[in-house]
Amino acid sequence: MADSKAVTLRTRKFMTNRLLARRQFVIDVLHPGRANVSKVELKEKLAGLYEVKDPNCIFVFKFRTHFGGGKSTGFGLIYDSLDSAKKYEPKYRLIRNGLATKIEKSRKQMKERKNRSKKIRGVKKTKAGDAAKGGKKK
Amino acid sequence: MHPYDSRYPIQVLTGRGGGEHVASEALAGKDAPRLLALLKEMKDGLDVVKSKVEALTVKVKQDKLLTSEGISYLEAKHLLLLDYCQSIVYYLLRKAKGLSIEGHPVVRNLVEIRLFLEKIRPIDKKLEYQIQKLTNAAEGGPAPEKIVASNKELGKSQKEEDPLKFRPNPEMLVSKTAPEVEGGGVYRPPKFAPTVMDDDKISKKEKQALRRDKAMVRQAKQSSFVNELMANFEDRPEEVRETVGAESIELTRYLAKREAKERQEEELFTRAPVTRREKKLEKHMTKSRNGLLGLTDGFFDDVKMLPLEERETDGPIEHSTPKRGGKRNKKRKAQF
Repeated sequence: MADSKAVTLRTRKFMTNRLLARRQFVIDVLHPGRANVSKVELKEKLAGLYEVKDPNCIFVFKFRTHFGGGKSTGFGLIYDSLDSAKKYEPKYRLIRNGLATKIEKSRKQMKERKNRSKKIRGVKKTKAGDAAKGGKKK
Repeated sequence: MHPYDSRYPIQVLTGRGGGEHVASEALAGKDAPRLLALLKEMKDGLDVVKSKVEALTVKVKQDKLLTSEGISYLEAKHLLLLDYCQSIVYYLLRKAKGLSIEGHPVVRNLVEIRLFLEKIRPIDKKLEYQIQKLTNAAEGGPAPEKIVASNKELGKSQKEEDPLKFRPNPEMLVSKTAPEVEGGGVYRPPKFAPTVMDDDKISKKEKQALRRDKAMVRQAKQSSFVNELMANFEDRPEEVRETVGAESIELTRYLAKREAKERQEEELFTRAPVTRREKKLEKHMTKSRNGLLGLTDGFFDDVKMLPLEERETDGPIEHSTPKRGGKRNKKRKAQF
């Protein structure tokens, strides 16, 4: 860690959430003289602090720096297993951690498709019709 | 043959009673066929009754029907009707033989019994339901269907309840003290009698004392000396912020609001979205105002909490308001 000053981690409001198979808490990070601590670094520190076997199960999010800098607060979750993490975490956080991949949807394509299906009524497959109609339009 | 039948011979014959003294031949000639018809009707009726009674007596002799415990009212009614019939027959007999009936006790008897029967008419109606029920129960079953069928024949709507169902139903009783489970878990007291809410009688002195306490607490929060004491007491880690002098009132308010907001957020484990206004405000606050403005604030604020002897009279409670308007603020385009 190539920072000149020490970074201190403090956890508050620790709670074991049995329903969602995780431990959740509020994290206070003290980093005087530094801009912000990256999430990766925070995860490493937490893994050391709580002796977590799989650092993939740790999720940190919603960090906000206090007025004047030097201190930031955010939330942290440590899941019991990777399976429960995949089950309960929202998609965007899994993607951030690298456990899921983002599906690239072209917005324009989606809108075009929707507008095409507006013309057809009922349970008719628009997919088969898409290509044909696309060809027709051209 | 019902005694209340309008064509009952007694009515006709009492009318004729006075006509004995009148020339009866002409009247007799007119009434003869009618009289015959009426007499025949009476005989038929009595025959029917006789046959029914005979059937019943046969059954009783065979010990099939119990006659010991019955509805006493019905017994009385039967006896009355029997007596009436006997009197009627005797009366007719006398008349047929041409004997006078004036002053004879038969007439009196007839009138009496007629009176009785009229009197028990309303009772009869009231007891009809009960008697029907009992007879159905005695017969054991097929009767209610017959009743329903007859109802349908009469054209009553099918939704109409069976009139034999009107019995006391303890399940319909609503308990006064039963707690209602409605209201989403909120306790709502049962409304028995009108109640009066007693007013909050806080005297003026008590109100002033409360206000003084509140003002003291507020001042304590603002004073830095007390803050240091509290920090020491609570064993919090010492936080050194880069400020010159005391912080401006504006800034302290802003910080207090932010801290309250953060506490709420931590409680709910969520974050409220940051609006553009808030971003602007934060920018405005960080721009080289932190600390320097605090130099111009008074020393009095820090000292007023301390119990020094020179200050005998309490100064007026200062309510410091943020600067509103002014050219400077407009220049910075701060929107509060």
